[in-house]
Amino acid sequence: MATRAASATGPVSSTPAEDSKATSQLLQPARGYPGALIVVEGIDGSGKSTQLYLLKRWLEIGGYRLHFTEWNSSPLVKSATKRGKQRRLLTPTTFSLLHAADFADRCERQILPLLHSGYLVLADRYIYTAFARDVARNCSPRWLRNLYRFAPLPDITFYFRAPLDVAVNRIMSGRPKLKHYEAGMDMNLSLDPAESFRIFQGRILAQYDEMIESDNFVVMDGTLAVNKLQKQMRQFVKTRIDLSRFAPQKAARRAR
Amino acid sequence: MSSRRGKKNGGEKAEATSARSSSRNYGLPLPGINEEELGGSLIVIEGMDGSGRSTQIALLTEWLESEGFAVETMGLRRSGLVAKDIDALLAENTITKMTLTLMYATDFYDQLEHRIIPALRSDFVVLADRYFYTLIARAAARGIERDYLQGLYEMALRPDLTFWLNVRPEAAFEREFRKSHTISYWESGRDLSLSDDLFQSFIMYQAKIKKEFEALSERNGFLAMDGEASVAAVNAELRKRIAAHLGIQRTQYRPSAALASLWR
Repeated sequence: MATRAASATGPVSSTPAEDSKATSQLLQPARGYPGALIVVEGIDGSGKSTQLYLLKRWLEIGGYRLHFTEWNSSPLVKSATKRGKQRRLLTPTTFSLLHAADFADRCERQILPLLHSGYLVLADRYIYTAFARDVARNCSPRWLRNLYRFAPLPDITFYFRAPLDVAVNRIMSGRPKLKHYEAGMDMNLSLDPAESFRIFQGRILAQYDEMIESDNFVVMDGTLAVNKLQKQMRQFVKTRIDLSRFAPQKAARRAR
Repeated sequence: MSSRRGKKNGGEKAEATSARSSSRNYGLPLPGINEEELGGSLIVIEGMDGSGRSTQIALLTEWLESEGFAVETMGLRRSGLVAKDIDALLAENTITKMTLTLMYATDFYDQLEHRIIPALRSDFVVLADRYFYTLIARAAARGIERDYLQGLYEMALRPDLTFWLNVRPEAAFEREFRKSHTISYWESGRDLSLSDDLFQSFIMYQAKIKKEFEALSERNGFLAMDGEASVAAVNAELRKRIAAHLGIQRTQYRPSAALASLWR
């Protein structure tokens, strides 16, 4: 784990009032809800999904109140996204907006109600995926930051950082057929999908790196052994979030 | 572009276009679009259902075509990308306001990028049957922050002319009811639970929308028009303004037999 993990600054908050409160090694973040939000971010092949899955298993086995959510999973706008991608109708702007609509649906119908009802929410990719990927597609960072303003800010954002070669090799060895937008073919980076994918992922990686400081990412070394990384992740979660709030007995007591 | 050059007053028009080309958006350019390439004119007609927008657009299209201008139209929920999806979302009441706001924004930008901009590149006159102003007014009436919405539409093209057909909600209700014998769930703002009575709900909702429009009009310089005047009178006023903008000398117009029924 890199230096950011040890620093005690809280996550960037949407309002100055929250900002000023979020300075201690906080266990109870100054949010308007009793839940907590843990996010993993990183380029494809960085190992983030594996690590979040293991974190989820650890918490599930312990009986904690949790909910797992993925980027791009709302059935509501799935058909539009699918059609747009298949027919290659999407521009950087409409690509971004459709994903924002999809996220808004999940946010309003799952994430926010769960946070308000005291759940620990685990998100595989969050708004930073849009910031990194859409800026790599030349969308304006200012426009994007405004677009996602309605999203609750994470209590922890783990950023799994792996060198481009490592990450791209992991993806290419397991999934040789790259999709049009996934490979960034819409930007005419290269006629070769594999090469285009590599350039695109490189741009996204650079955008993630830009956000490490400003968005308080907890940087995780994606080249470490899986179990070692997971140990670091669990340790960090324990120090940053009061897990007893989500423990089974506590939940039962609250229900009464 | 060459068609414009062959016309009288073409030079004037071209000058006017280049003079304001630097501020053609609301703060941000669309990625991948060179605004310098855009000619033509973007003319917006706003106003609630029952204000006579579609009638006026049909008549203006015919008039402009008879004057030799190529016309393209746009409107809300007409994109190839998501119009059908929005219809489906509106049909069930599980949609939440932020998602709907962003689906409408997708619909708007898809039309902007795939319909309006190509048309302007080819020197068309684009007549917009409502623009993003309606989307801002509706979302703001539902509690979404105004500066969020302005940021969302920061990359939209600034229209050359925006007309606002102003009607009293009571008059709009009557016109709509006469036409379709019902009032739409969304146009009466039923999702806001303002009143159980459909008429009351419609009036209260449209009053909220009107308040938003007044603020938008002030900021964007709408040309407010009396939408309760006769179709012919409103059309004459629209033609006068548009003719001045496009450099059309003769503004006489009588609708063809096909559109004569609209002329009352």
